[in-house]
Amino acid sequence: MGIFVFLPLVLPLTAWPIARLAEQRLHPRTATVLLTWVSTVMVLCSTVCLALLMVVGTAQLPGNPLPDGWSDPEVRESVPRHEVAGKAAIPALLAVVTGCGRALLRHLRVRRRAHAALRGLPPTQVAVLPDAQPYAYALPGGARDRIVVSTAMLGCLSSRERRALFAHERSHLLARHHRHLLLVQLAACANPFLRPLRSAVAYTAERWADEEAARAVGSRKAVARAIGTAALVSRPTPVPTLAALAAPGPLPRRVAALLAPAPSGRAWPSLFTTVGLAVWTAAAGAALSAMFSANSAVTLLLLLRAATPL
Amino acid sequence: MTHPDPRRPRRAQGALETQVLAALHEAGGPVTAGWVRDRLAADLAYTTVMTVLARLLAKHAVTRRREGRSFVWLPTADEAGLAALKMRKVLDGEQDRRAVLARFITALPEGDEQVLRELLDQAGDED
Repeated sequence: MGIFVFLPLVLPLTAWPIARLAEQRLHPRTATVLLTWVSTVMVLCSTVCLALLMVVGTAQLPGNPLPDGWSDPEVRESVPRHEVAGKAAIPALLAVVTGCGRALLRHLRVRRRAHAALRGLPPTQVAVLPDAQPYAYALPGGARDRIVVSTAMLGCLSSRERRALFAHERSHLLARHHRHLLLVQLAACANPFLRPLRSAVAYTAERWADEEAARAVGSRKAVARAIGTAALVSRPTPVPTLAALAAPGPLPRRVAALLAPAPSGRAWPSLFTTVGLAVWTAAAGAALSAMFSANSAVTLLLLLRAATPL
Repeated sequence: MTHPDPRRPRRAQGALETQVLAALHEAGGPVTAGWVRDRLAADLAYTTVMTVLARLLAKHAVTRRREGRSFVWLPTADEAGLAALKMRKVLDGEQDRRAVLARFITALPEGDEQVLRELLDQAGDED
């Protein structure tokens, strides 16, 4: 397997250009689906490779439970710098497993507790809660999909803007956006190089819902006004952060995108554009990741089988 | 172990709190726990009603004051208000909310406010 076992760990870097360009250049739906797929494939491959490295590393440790043959020189030499890489892979894989486990548990816990909070209310799809803090979100739960919105949020919107808000949340539920968000969240926990993809998907999923809302209400400006008004009445952040000096955050970008013409629904950009090149770079990165990790897995399996005395 | 009374299914957690709150609202004034128990007519033990009231008190959904030898109880929030209190706790307890719930709006940094106002001025003209 040689150096190839390390490559899937860093190949997520090939997805950085598209994570950056997808926000503006691709239709939000295309961008969300593409980035979720790329990061899921890449994280599976990088975790497989980490597990392979861990097997080699564990076999070197004295008193390990693996068969003795697995510490064979031939197995060890299959990984360059096996003394360091193999041992480093053990805590790395543990960190991946605990990180992903915690993220998954937190996701389930928040959903369960949010549903529990709504128990006792009539089982309508929209739950309006009397709260002075404006918020609105989609709470997925299979047959119990709900939209939670506070009275403060409704109070600051006109009736058309309210319809935009509900259309936005309904689109989150219909398209099951929480699955995309969870997948990229887990991927980012397992491989830090995939973090830009998580932020990108968090943004493009909102944009996707914005576009659907604009279609449902029949006015892009109404959705833009709804987002803008809601954001302005919401509690300001207590301390000005460094982010204030940086480029505009996600909310102004969403509003600006809605004030611009609708994105074209064309599925895939041509290879001969910047964004096309970025898409294909990421796709190639994902394909190479899959190839290298499969190749490394098969090689190690054959080596271990040869090294295990029957 | 089987349920003592098969006709009465186990109450969902929180359902009793909702019923007690509803009873307090119907009362329209401060009432005692005994009154709540009679009002619910659900064959509840006095201590059960007291437990629920204490739980509601901890959630700031009811208030109480001493009157003679016992407490009288007053609701501070109705069922939706109670749900809102619980929901606020869920939201405040989660530092990285964006990771879990897709929210309509997120916190707005100061610099963004000006940008947003300018954009809204554009949007506000016509449709």
